[in-house]
Amino acid sequence: MKWDPLARKGLTGRLPEAWRQPLAVVGGVIAIVWLVVALAAPVLAPHDPLAQDLPRLAAPGPGHWFGTDQLGRDILSRVMHGARVSIPLTLMLVALSVLVGGLLGACAGYFGRWVDETIMRVADLVFAFPTVILAMVVAAALGASLTNAVLAVLVVAWPAYARVTRGLVLGVREREFVLSGRLLGFSAWRSLRVDVLPNVTGPVLVLATLDIGTALLLLSGLSFLGLGAKPPSPEWGAMVASGVEVFDSWWVATFPGLAILTVVLAFNFLGDTLRDALDPRTARAIKERAL
Amino acid sequence: MATRSQTAAVLLAGALALAACGSGGSQTPAAQGGGGKTLVIDTSFDLKTADPGRTYEPTGLFVEKAIYETLLTFEGADVTKPVPALAESYELSKDGKVLTLKLKQGATFADGSPVTADDVVFSLTRVRDMKGTPSFLLDGVEVAKEGDSTVTLTSKAANPALPFILPNPALGIINSKLAKQHGATADAQDKAEQYLNSAAAGSGPYTIESFNVSSQVVLKANAKYYGTKPAYDKVVIRNVEAATQKLNVQRGDSQVALNLSGDQVTGMPANLQVKKTASANVIFLLANQDDKVSKTTPNAKFVEAVRKGVDYTGLLELAGEGSTQAPGVIPSQLLGALPADQAAKRDVEGAKAALAASGVANPTVKLEYPSELTVNGLSFQPLAERIQANLKEVGITVDLQPAPVTTALDNYRNGKEELGLWYWGPDYPDPSDYLAFLPGKTVGLRAGWKTGAAKEIEAAGEKAATAIGDDARKQAYADVQTKLNASGPFIPLIQPSQNIVTAASVTGLEYHPVWTVDVAHLGAK
Amino acid sequence: MPATDDTPRAPRRRGAHPLARFLIRRILLALLLAWGITLVTFVLTNLVPGDPVAANLGQRALGDPAIVAQWRSQHGLDKPLWEQYLLHLQGVVHGDLGTSQQSHRPVSQDLAEFVPATLELAGAAILVSLVLGVAFGVIAALRRDRLADHALRVLSLIGISVPTFWLALVAFYVFFYRLQITPGSGRVDAALGSAPAVTGLQTVDALLAGRGDIFGSAVGHLITPALVLALYTIGLLTRFTRSAVLEVLGQDYVRAARAKGLPGRTILFRYVLRSALVPIITVAGLAFGSLLSGTVLVEAIFAWPGVGQYAYKSATTLDLPAVMGVGLVVGVVYLVINLIVDVLYGVIDPRVRLQ
Repeated sequence: MKWDPLARKGLTGRLPEAWRQPLAVVGGVIAIVWLVVALAAPVLAPHDPLAQDLPRLAAPGPGHWFGTDQLGRDILSRVMHGARVSIPLTLMLVALSVLVGGLLGACAGYFGRWVDETIMRVADLVFAFPTVILAMVVAAALGASLTNAVLAVLVVAWPAYARVTRGLVLGVREREFVLSGRLLGFSAWRSLRVDVLPNVTGPVLVLATLDIGTALLLLSGLSFLGLGAKPPSPEWGAMVASGVEVFDSWWVATFPGLAILTVVLAFNFLGDTLRDALDPRTARAIKERAL
Repeated sequence: MATRSQTAAVLLAGALALAACGSGGSQTPAAQGGGGKTLVIDTSFDLKTADPGRTYEPTGLFVEKAIYETLLTFEGADVTKPVPALAESYELSKDGKVLTLKLKQGATFADGSPVTADDVVFSLTRVRDMKGTPSFLLDGVEVAKEGDSTVTLTSKAANPALPFILPNPALGIINSKLAKQHGATADAQDKAEQYLNSAAAGSGPYTIESFNVSSQVVLKANAKYYGTKPAYDKVVIRNVEAATQKLNVQRGDSQVALNLSGDQVTGMPANLQVKKTASANVIFLLANQDDKVSKTTPNAKFVEAVRKGVDYTGLLELAGEGSTQAPGVIPSQLLGALPADQAAKRDVEGAKAALAASGVANPTVKLEYPSELTVNGLSFQPLAERIQANLKEVGITVDLQPAPVTTALDNYRNGKEELGLWYWGPDYPDPSDYLAFLPGKTVGLRAGWKTGAAKEIEAAGEKAATAIGDDARKQAYADVQTKLNASGPFIPLIQPSQNIVTAASVTGLEYHPVWTVDVAHLGAK
Repeated sequence: MPATDDTPRAPRRRGAHPLARFLIRRILLALLLAWGITLVTFVLTNLVPGDPVAANLGQRALGDPAIVAQWRSQHGLDKPLWEQYLLHLQGVVHGDLGTSQQSHRPVSQDLAEFVPATLELAGAAILVSLVLGVAFGVIAALRRDRLADHALRVLSLIGISVPTFWLALVAFYVFFYRLQITPGSGRVDAALGSAPAVTGLQTVDALLAGRGDIFGSAVGHLITPALVLALYTIGLLTRFTRSAVLEVLGQDYVRAARAKGLPGRTILFRYVLRSALVPIITVAGLAFGSLLSGTVLVEAIFAWPGVGQYAYKSATTLDLPAVMGVGLVVGVVYLVINLIVDVLYGVIDPRVRLQ
């Protein structure tokens, strides 16, 4: 059993250096702050995020630093609690996309022929739709709820992973150590798991980090359209949407939007640094697919 | 050969780009000038057609009112008394079945031809027989010509509401000769809609210059109008989101903004006029009476707990100044409305007591509502969230189930909602429209309320339907509503304010519950 | 379509130009995809709970079975689903996309109005992105690891991290409402009317008609939504251009050119940019696709009468013919863009085989 020595060394050898980059540090710090907020929101938040007991549409000021919304709820507390809604769901969504896309892509790349044709044509079909519109229709078909929004985004997100994984598997499949494994009589499954998987994991994980931002943007976009979070849940996209109606009270939409921006930014800072740390060839493969 | 494939590729790319862009637009070029005054009105479009026989959306009625004339109309905002329009007088027979209308002489269509009794008969039977959305207005009504200037409308049962129905712009009189030339057959196969979307075949003060259901409608003054000429030569009606309407009217990009919410009209600069009038739309809660739909909501004590648990003042605060609490299902400006002091009041202790008496412990109920629907600029979303918070204090857990209008409305009309948050706007400003809320009728069935479910209320309803004379009707409808409020499945909430903002130069604006605003009555200063 | 699925080793017909063969293959594949799109949209739209009748009839009329039945038969909804689909497919083959339930107009007529509006917006955005993105990318590459490079990196990452719907709202509030320096919603000031529609693009039509005032107004209306849309693609293109240029700078022939003493500007424009153009065009093509997605949200805020708003309204009202029409047209636009990108590839870089 051999691993591709270059690929492994490439990743582990460069990682620590990458982490020393200021951008990665900033991204990491922001991400950690948000994770802490998400975990400790019930303790940290000054108000009950659902209580409608403050004056309506009050501008930011003492007692309510981010202002209040049209029902008299504290926006700061809602933004903090929103982290508990959006962040875990986004992470779960990306994990699911990696799993589904990675598995299908690996099968396509490893088995080739009709398996490959079928999976990749379906992927093409998904790519032929604009993501937002497809996700919108899927979410509408399933009914508005956060779980269904996650499923809808999953439907549009997996093909990116399938393509990258397939490309990587194709590159590895004909390599000596995989061929020798098969000659030794390994089953296809074992060969995939033992020989191929380790060589594909690194790049796919980087793609996943980069994708967390995109996934959060898409998920909150669906909620913005009313196809995601159910009220009165403090979901950031839905909060921005409620701010559209009370345009004058800029704080209603501004702060949840900033929350989305900072989380996405943090993961993009991290992902970008990680990508630079990869060897250039796989990095380019990822770049071209990570749209 | 690199050069040849290069040329081919460039040509191809160019051709594709052209094909992608060049499919052509369809906007009609706006004729410039005219010298007269132009009025720009911003509204959120709910518009499908300019064919009066198929119109039932608010923006559609607003547009038709300017293009077509009806037999009767209302003066200003007073909807309690129909007044002559194309008919100079009307008379209802003693049994309430036959309405005789005498036509005004000298009225002409936009092409100069006179409005005749034949046009009236054709237009009204067309609405009835095309089976378009407004066809129920004339269900079972026979239209006949009695001589050159008299028309009779005969109903099978007493129909005292008919004079209140006729002012609906959907019953506008069209030029039958023109319409027939363009495919009008006055039955389900009628093809005149396309034509009526591009040309005005009416006798109203305006005609269509351009008509686009999604972006804008331009009206120009009817050069051959036989009546008083309107103050504006050209009226541009644009489809604009509420938030933008506000900015546009503040900046002077438009002179009228029709759909602002209560929050949006607070703090308007002094150079703008803000008209806040309680609309005739009644927002209500329904509690399903069908025990196959819910085990909880058919319980009368539970409904009482909800009725006492809702914070009506809090809802009015969300709806903004100008809104009023709805004392019954019939809105305040109609004949037969309950006086304001009979409206339900919040009583948390009473609600808790009723809930305890209901025998349902810690109930959880689903509240369905159309998530993106707004009525008079007021969104259903915060209303539902407020009601959820109100009922939580009482001990009722409300699970909010927002859905797009199509999905929600489908569940609603099939009577599948446990609790529903909806509104009803008058199809015609007569209390008989509200008999729909009784058991076995349109709205009653949507609350799972079948015929025979409440005999006493049904009897009161029958009495109201046949009552003749204003006083008798007033009394009968008040009685129906008192009974409905005591034991019916509906909880009337509020009539949100219709907030209209106009530039200082616009005068004479009145909000009308059926057609919003009569453009031809607007003045300029 | 077995005829197209020939393996690369199958004997090639003589005389067929590689470009022609490539095109035929791509077009057949596109047809297959287009059919897939119609099927997927049809199935999805029918899965949506609810009834289109509810979106089209008033509350009172909904309670009247005769009106409901008449409406259903008028729109062919009384037929079984498979028949509805076949009828639709038959219509599409004959160039008839059906009639929208919402607008009561032929869907093709609706699309002819809305698609150019979106193309104008997305086109303006991609133009801005290409100019700024490529410029920023080249600067970042040439100033590698210096301040400009780092600053541009942060900026481009911010660009791809901003939620478009939120940015649109903020831009609208700040520039239109607070500062009052941009015109409001729509494509052109209503008071000006609009130029006769030739291309459907307001700016081009205004120029064709010689109406400077309309042109100015149209450009003014375009600026904010186009910039909001462009921010994401600017960020994307900056990153890609930078790495593409860096890669070329490291090539032997560039080093050789430098060693020969060719002036820096010549090297940059003659060698570096030309080679870097291939990846840039790929990304630009894909970015155009993502722009079309972004327009759904941006159009809603700016009340831009484009295909995104049309799609949203059609989807929420279950207007099946309209949804299918949008799906088909947008899918085809995607395919066409990909095709153009592929062809340009071959033009710019003859080494790329048309396969």
